[in-house]
Amino acid sequence: MRILIIEDEKSLREDVVDYLSENGYKCDFATTVKSATQKLSDLVYSCALVDIGLPDGSGMEVVEYIKKNSPEMGVIMITAKNALEDKLEGLKIGADDYLTKPFHLSELNARLYSVLRRRNFGGKNTLSFDGLEIDTTEKKVIANGTQLQLTKKEYEILVFLASSPTHLITKEALADSIWGDKAEMASSFDFVYSQIKNLKKKLNEAGITNYIKVVYGMGYKFKD
Amino acid sequence: MKLLTKTNIYSSITTILLFTAGIFIIYEIILSKLDKEADRRLLVIKTKIINGLNEGISPNEFMSNIGQKIYVRKIKQQTLFTNQFIEYTGREFEDDVVSDNEENRRLTQRELLFQTTVNGQAYEVTVCMSLTESKKIGKYIAGVVLVFLVLSFFILFFLNRYISDFLWSPFNDTLSKIKTWSIKKQDKLVFKDTDTEEFHLLNDTLRDLTNQIQSDYQNLKEFTENVSHEAQTPLSIISTKLELLLQDNNYNEKQYKQLQQIYHATQRMHKLNEGLILLTRIENKQFVETEEININQAINEKIEILEDFIEAKQITIHKEFKKQVIKELNQNLLSILLNNLFINAIKYNYDEGGRITVTVDEDFISVENTSPSEKIDRQFIFDRFNKNSISGSLGLGLSLIKRITDFFNWHISYSYKDHTHKFKIYL
Repeated sequence: MRILIIEDEKSLREDVVDYLSENGYKCDFATTVKSATQKLSDLVYSCALVDIGLPDGSGMEVVEYIKKNSPEMGVIMITAKNALEDKLEGLKIGADDYLTKPFHLSELNARLYSVLRRRNFGGKNTLSFDGLEIDTTEKKVIANGTQLQLTKKEYEILVFLASSPTHLITKEALADSIWGDKAEMASSFDFVYSQIKNLKKKLNEAGITNYIKVVYGMGYKFKD
Repeated sequence: MKLLTKTNIYSSITTILLFTAGIFIIYEIILSKLDKEADRRLLVIKTKIINGLNEGISPNEFMSNIGQKIYVRKIKQQTLFTNQFIEYTGREFEDDVVSDNEENRRLTQRELLFQTTVNGQAYEVTVCMSLTESKKIGKYIAGVVLVFLVLSFFILFFLNRYISDFLWSPFNDTLSKIKTWSIKKQDKLVFKDTDTEEFHLLNDTLRDLTNQIQSDYQNLKEFTENVSHEAQTPLSIISTKLELLLQDNNYNEKQYKQLQQIYHATQRMHKLNEGLILLTRIENKQFVETEEININQAINEKIEILEDFIEAKQITIHKEFKKQVIKELNQNLLSILLNNLFINAIKYNYDEGGRITVTVDEDFISVENTSPSEKIDRQFIFDRFNKNSISGSLGLGLSLIKRITDFFNWHISYSYKDHTHKFKIYL
């Protein structure tokens, strides 16, 4: 799957490219509105990550260009300003999702996964692991042939971890993604622990013990 | 006390003292003038008597006039060579006309006692003159002066007040304008024109000062805003780099621990930055859209969203909704406000088995929470970065709450009793 990253900040762009490449995406990048539209007319991409603030214009122009020329393509906007107006405007002109800087790479990966799934790219609607299958269309989790009864939060956590299976997911990234703004002021991550504990318990009961590893003091990894 | 009242009091006291002394002095001067006049007349009479004696008029023939008596008696030898003036006050002065009418009236007379020798015969003469009438005149004059002074005192008093009010009106106008002036409002101060030099100078100085303050404040605000925004990108870079670094497994324990610490510090920096940006946005009044919101419902939704946090600490929530309150508000801000109120109530609660009581009534919302921590210093409670020592919080939560209640024109108060913190918002 080919992704176009339109971001002028070199360092950030490289990190995104590295992270997404590790997750199996083919990544291209552009740094200006002009080069972005050039790239977009040359190749077919599944999704574009568009930074709003570009040196020669607004990322909005790129979003508009994409929606006009290849409406089937997914678009995730990245805004530096936490401005609601930007978000609303972006979503109005057809962006699928937005991220505010600073964001967690794992969050970006999960959002990307979700956008691609919604747009049915590659028909990849299940996350399959040894003994565990997550159907993201039906929102069903099958462990060793039996369907698990998970709460909404447990399911979200599982999908989030499984969408970057080999990466370390920090508690902060997990809390921000699942609880959003609400986690902002919380000093402890007790609520994350308790959710993970329940989730692991349910997986264990179904005979799945080799997923979701605790990385002491930092967070979790779906698998090694 | 008002400056005007003060000036009035002091000037009144001074005037009263001066007037009293003045009247006393005037009265004394009049009396001494009258005495002098009486003495002059007595001396005139003396000359007449001596002339009369020289002409051979017998001592008994000297007539006493109204208010005036003459006693001439022969003596062996003249012993007194100067005139003796005697002031006499009493009732014994036997003057039919003067004394009989009013018995208790104290009479004053002035006497001239002299001795003279005419044609070898020595005489002692006493000339008495009633001063009652002249004293009356003196008192009368003093009375008139007194009435005039008292009248002028009151006239001056009220005139002074009126003039002062009038003169000080530009000052009062300036004062009331500064009172309502706020650093956050962008409007410039416009003062009443005045031709009083001092007030003119005051207005000019104040205008310059407030303009300067406003522009400084604006600069500072923009600076904070810019710093917060500009910090986003480098923070993003640090944070993503760290996330990538953490993916590697090739660190020794010490290195890994250091990376962890850097990562956590960076995350805190993010939250801080987000909080600051939010504060700036509230101050910049960027939340203008409003809609009708049922506050009870909003609280219910907020509690539902925070369920995980509440459950993690096994907190019991008591809801006392006495009234359904509907307000026209910005939804985002209300959400942030409630979020901060409840997060605080959860965060500072006991780790197990705490309690939160939410009350909604027609004109207030209150959130009470149990807590192991002591009372927060009321003076600094809503200040930025007034960090509660027991938590690793950013110290922006309460400041945000305060900003938002200010924005809504609500009033928030804090109270503490027996390990229960209570925040009450008056709508």
